[in-house]
Amino acid sequence: MLRTVKPKNARSKRALDARLPKEIEDTRTAIFVKGTHSGEVVNNVMKELMALKRPHAIAFNKKNAIYPFDAASGSTDSLEFWSNKNDASMFVVGQTTKKRPHGLTFVRMFDGKVLDMMEVGVESWKGMAEFKTPKSTPGHKPLMHFASELFDTHPRFIQLKSILMSFFNGEEVDSICLPGLEHIISVTCAPTPTSLNSATPNMYPNQTPSAPEELPKVHVRTYTCKLLASGTRIPRVELTPMGPSLDLVMRRHQPADLELVKQAMKRPKLKKTDVEKGLGKRKKNLEVDEMGDLRGRVHVGKQDLGKLQTRKMKGLKSGFDVEDQEVGSGEEEEEEEREDGGPKKRRKAE
Amino acid sequence: MDVSGILASHAAKYKSVTVEKETPLEVDAGSLMVTDLNPIDEESYNANLEEHLQSLARDGAQALFASLFTLPTRPSADGPLAQLPPPTYQLPRAKPLPKPKPPTKWEVFASAKGIQKKVRDKKEWDEEKQEWVNRWGRDGKNKQLEDQWITEVPLHADVDFDPRKVARDERKARVAKNEKQRDQNLARAAGKGPREERKRDIEKTLATTRISTASMGKFDKKLDGEKKVRGVKRKFDPTEAPIDHEKEASLALISRMESDSKKTRREPQPEESVLNVRKAVRFASKGRGGIALGRESAGGRGRGRGGRGRGKR
Repeated sequence: MLRTVKPKNARSKRALDARLPKEIEDTRTAIFVKGTHSGEVVNNVMKELMALKRPHAIAFNKKNAIYPFDAASGSTDSLEFWSNKNDASMFVVGQTTKKRPHGLTFVRMFDGKVLDMMEVGVESWKGMAEFKTPKSTPGHKPLMHFASELFDTHPRFIQLKSILMSFFNGEEVDSICLPGLEHIISVTCAPTPTSLNSATPNMYPNQTPSAPEELPKVHVRTYTCKLLASGTRIPRVELTPMGPSLDLVMRRHQPADLELVKQAMKRPKLKKTDVEKGLGKRKKNLEVDEMGDLRGRVHVGKQDLGKLQTRKMKGLKSGFDVEDQEVGSGEEEEEEEREDGGPKKRRKAE
Repeated sequence: MDVSGILASHAAKYKSVTVEKETPLEVDAGSLMVTDLNPIDEESYNANLEEHLQSLARDGAQALFASLFTLPTRPSADGPLAQLPPPTYQLPRAKPLPKPKPPTKWEVFASAKGIQKKVRDKKEWDEEKQEWVNRWGRDGKNKQLEDQWITEVPLHADVDFDPRKVARDERKARVAKNEKQRDQNLARAAGKGPREERKRDIEKTLATTRISTASMGKFDKKLDGEKKVRGVKRKFDPTEAPIDHEKEASLALISRMESDSKKTRREPQPEESVLNVRKAVRFASKGRGGIALGRESAGGRGRGRGGRGRGKR
């Protein structure tokens, strides 16, 4: 829908080149959009999330008629257009209805198309202003903590973990300043109800896996970390609550299309320097020696040395033994060795 | 000397830094994430929610910091920088992987010779003026010859030797050459370089020759680098075909021969020549038309011949 912009000067060209795909990606920018009816709760929660996400957050000022789960409405097109225009790959859509009060929808994009969506409802929240404690510096990377075995087993919660990780901690860094680790965002589930535990997912494939009332609530808390001396090199961690605390209930979701996920999970090929450093799959026949060179071993199967084709030495033929008889026992021994060992040893002696 | 007592008192002073859980916490230092896979304890959860959540988070944070502080560090201005390992938890990308660009002609040469790329700054130190001047751009040093008000003229120069014009033309020629080389690089990267075009032409010709032989090129001598063609066989129509099929085939052939479609191969038609005859006639006759031209030329020829003939006598 957008016309491709052709850069007219060096500055616009630089801006366009900054938006091109890179091997190691930047942090995902999130757009906070309000639906037709948002309400005070949703507005405030979005403000809190934006404070945690700054500076990679954009807030739209006007209300937009956007219904992400309604395929018939042009919402997907709107999302794609906004994503393209603002170079953003995450959305938080806030909407309140009678049926779904205080709803937040997290949308993740890949390649300008919607990858997956997750809708949660805010049951209760406490803003940063209510905690009279020091806050962390905006822009610092948060530590993430997920507590519950459901984050490994249940597909809805696996998706929630993935979306929240993309939202808060998406970018890959290779070194981090230790004093800069100031806050931790902790996502905990309520205790797993027995219905979820006992039911095996494959028992009744036609049934919907879990009715919405059975999924446990999710608690999101933010704490600032204080490091105390402990006598060892590792400090003792003490937490003080800061920032928003939300209690969420899981609502609708849209899982990602398998083809798109395959494309999205592609990793760049490991460069030769990384393989030499020891990353990548350890191949049994490759090793890096002391000089730093990559060496490989070729394993040849067991060879039948009797059938080996060697150089034919005329002097070693049996007929010639007659001339060497007067030399002595030493020579005979050598000849014996030659006969016992394979023709290979004969060659080595030469 | 028994130091166990001193050690015990020392340990008691500080709180523990280890975390003991049923299932050990999964720490992913590369993505600064810790996952606690133990099921939530219902009693502590129901007793005091916030405290329970905070204690869970504290344990997780402790485990994460323990692993972070054991990583190798580099000193920096803001504090120790921990070298993070590559992350274990894979997240989907936001944009597809970039396609690797083929290296340009210069890049291939430079990597073969071992030439490193030297990044030059925009400003350069000018010894004469004793200040930093731009290499290019506004008041750039590359325009010095054009801008300066006095120039030495070479000995045997032309009378109208314009040093400013000469310098400007040289600069523009350099820019144009760079642009041309950049276009060639882009074409080569897109697969449209002259070598690739020539290769494609050759392959097309070879394919045509293959089809031109009765055995579809199966028994021709193979050249080096020629691609193996599979599954091309000569098609024989069945010996006994119904009369309607033969009639249809012949009629179709005749109509194809007479049609103007691109698929029929013939000599270029007169209207495909370079000259637009209609426009030429209109121009030559000054709008009057072809018949007027013919009249004119016939009359002129007649008069000219007659005149010349009379003139000669």
